[in-house]
Amino acid sequence: MHRRAFVRLLTAGAWVKAAGIDLIAKGKPAAPAKPGLQIRADLPTLKIVSRYSPAAVPGMPGPYPGRVIKVKSDNCVDTATNTANDQVVREMMAQGMRALTGAASTEDAWRRFFAPADVVGIKVNCGGFPNCISAYEIVGETVRQLTGLGVPVSQIYVYERFQNQMDECNYAAHLPQGVQTVAAERANRNTDNSGYDPETFLEANLFGEEDTRSNMMRLVSKRLTKIINIPNMKDHGATGATGCLKNIAYGSFSNVARTHQRGKSHTYSVVGTLASMEPVRSRTVLQIMDGIRGVWHGGPFARTTKYLFYPKQIMFGTDPVAIDRLLLDIIDNERKAHGAISIWDRNPASLKIDDGRARDADPNVNIIIREPGHVEFAASLGLGVADLAKIKVQELTV
Amino acid sequence: MAPAILFLLAAVPCLYWPHGIDTRPAIEAAGIKHLCAPADQADGWRKAGLTVTTVSENDFGAREALSAPGVSPRPGVASPTRAPWIVASGWRFMRSPSTKYAYSAPAGKGALAAAEAFAYGVDAMIKVDPADLPSVGAMMAFLETLPNEDLPPVADFGVVDDGSAIVGEVMNLLARRNLLFHVEKEPAAQFRVNVVVGSAAYPQAEAADPSTFAQKVRSQLTDEQRSLRLFGSEVVIGRLTSDGKRARLHLINYGGRDIEGLRVRVRGGYKGGDAYIAGTGKAALQDLVVADGAIEFSLPKIGTYAAVDLR
Repeated sequence: MHRRAFVRLLTAGAWVKAAGIDLIAKGKPAAPAKPGLQIRADLPTLKIVSRYSPAAVPGMPGPYPGRVIKVKSDNCVDTATNTANDQVVREMMAQGMRALTGAASTEDAWRRFFAPADVVGIKVNCGGFPNCISAYEIVGETVRQLTGLGVPVSQIYVYERFQNQMDECNYAAHLPQGVQTVAAERANRNTDNSGYDPETFLEANLFGEEDTRSNMMRLVSKRLTKIINIPNMKDHGATGATGCLKNIAYGSFSNVARTHQRGKSHTYSVVGTLASMEPVRSRTVLQIMDGIRGVWHGGPFARTTKYLFYPKQIMFGTDPVAIDRLLLDIIDNERKAHGAISIWDRNPASLKIDDGRARDADPNVNIIIREPGHVEFAASLGLGVADLAKIKVQELTV
Repeated sequence: MAPAILFLLAAVPCLYWPHGIDTRPAIEAAGIKHLCAPADQADGWRKAGLTVTTVSENDFGAREALSAPGVSPRPGVASPTRAPWIVASGWRFMRSPSTKYAYSAPAGKGALAAAEAFAYGVDAMIKVDPADLPSVGAMMAFLETLPNEDLPPVADFGVVDDGSAIVGEVMNLLARRNLLFHVEKEPAAQFRVNVVVGSAAYPQAEAADPSTFAQKVRSQLTDEQRSLRLFGSEVVIGRLTSDGKRARLHLINYGGRDIEGLRVRVRGGYKGGDAYIAGTGKAALQDLVVADGAIEFSLPKIGTYAAVDLR
């Protein structure tokens, strides 16, 4: 019965190839799509299936490629109690959004991205509960600005992949009644696929797994018109750091833990490829990097404060690559300050495969060879600017 | 008795129940109508209105014993992936379909054992933990309501079986990965791929690592050409039967947890069908796509077992 739809689906796949994904779809050494980028040769074959077409100006990298607004404040968080200051955060966000857009007022700045008819997803990050999640203050201010523009609360969805994580974080208690807080799966058990779109997926056999598909959340493909991405500044055992790209990619698709195991990570190419898939790419229009708190080791988790640190900043942009490129250095510099090995370390001597306890106890232990190069790879897909020399950072202080 | 009913009685495994008539309330509450019971118990059960096949403890013990089906977390053993190890007997049924089998299923495994035996159409008896009677009874009742189908199994390649343990283990791993094969005595002309362990193409040394061996066969078949693919779980095994026009797909969930939205792809010219889900009943196929020489659909939820009839 859905023959026609499926044909469109395949046609859309052809579009993705034209946009540059064919570089990995063929599984061959890829000529860099952007001059100066060095893309690794040992990449798995990735097949994209999506029937969605890109927007005229896809949200990533959006209208401000290579541009990052960094707003810092010593007063944004009380490090003794790990409590953020709502008023300071609100001012940081106001200044950041105005600086990003050049708008005269904060409301005008938000209006550049959103209209009352939009159905807006706010992709939060709950993985670092209880110490480092997308700040309630940032999420709350985001909702406040959206409703101020006339977006009904019923059209605002705060989302994650796993309901048990959302329950822990309990954003609803910090938001106006009526804002939707949703997840695709009850928990990370690989038993609940109904929240994912069976016709929009990335297919890849990475480690011989039978389930070779990672499907996009139905919420993202079927309901949302715009997405705001609110990641944290965190170390990550497989990607080096987890920021905008990984939060939107691995937080919007199923079955992604399969990309990294037994010491090896395919996140190098999969993170960016997922982020490049339509309609995620077109609909993710705003990046708000929550750097009030950060995690310099053991991420993406933060069950203890052992590896917590306080960058005391929020970054704004539409280019996830540029922000994540800065993030790599922030995490790596913090690790260096603590005498830990670099996120770029590929020394087998540092590797204790699958030994999470050793990793948690010792910041000089990797459990997987990390792939911070995933940021540069994402740049090769046209998602943004990874060259530090070309990234323009405007720094503000509140 | 009509032939179709005879077929169903033969296909649904028999509950071996050595307990006395004092357990009648539990049996009746479970809705069980047919038992296999020792001679000294049989008359009592017949008087209670059940149909009974007389089976002694020795008869039961003489059957080939099967492992309790399910999963166990053995990272790195089942495969290089994180998929748990599946304990399944499908490969044994394919290797020897006429053998008489017996399960001694521990608590929680009775219904799964019944579904597994039914899916492969073998002669199996199941001794269960009394606590499992309700779930086993419900499964038996469900299996008996399924539309009768007697279609030949679908295979994408042949495995030449010399009866050795190593070939058995290879078949086990192939079946667990939903790589559909026929057990052959010699390479079969209808298959592009014939696995002959010990041949130059499939050296014995390679078969010593059955997981890698299965991956090799998979890559030779290619995923695109496989008759059956399952997405959304690594713990469901399918058995596909078809005459080319109609198909029945048995889906056995070894994981012990309900799976929502299991995605199924079956190659062939099927346009639609119906699902029969244990615990749910008849259900429509969801998110149906027919294209590219295959049908794809999702199941709303599968507990232990589902049958899907395609046409």
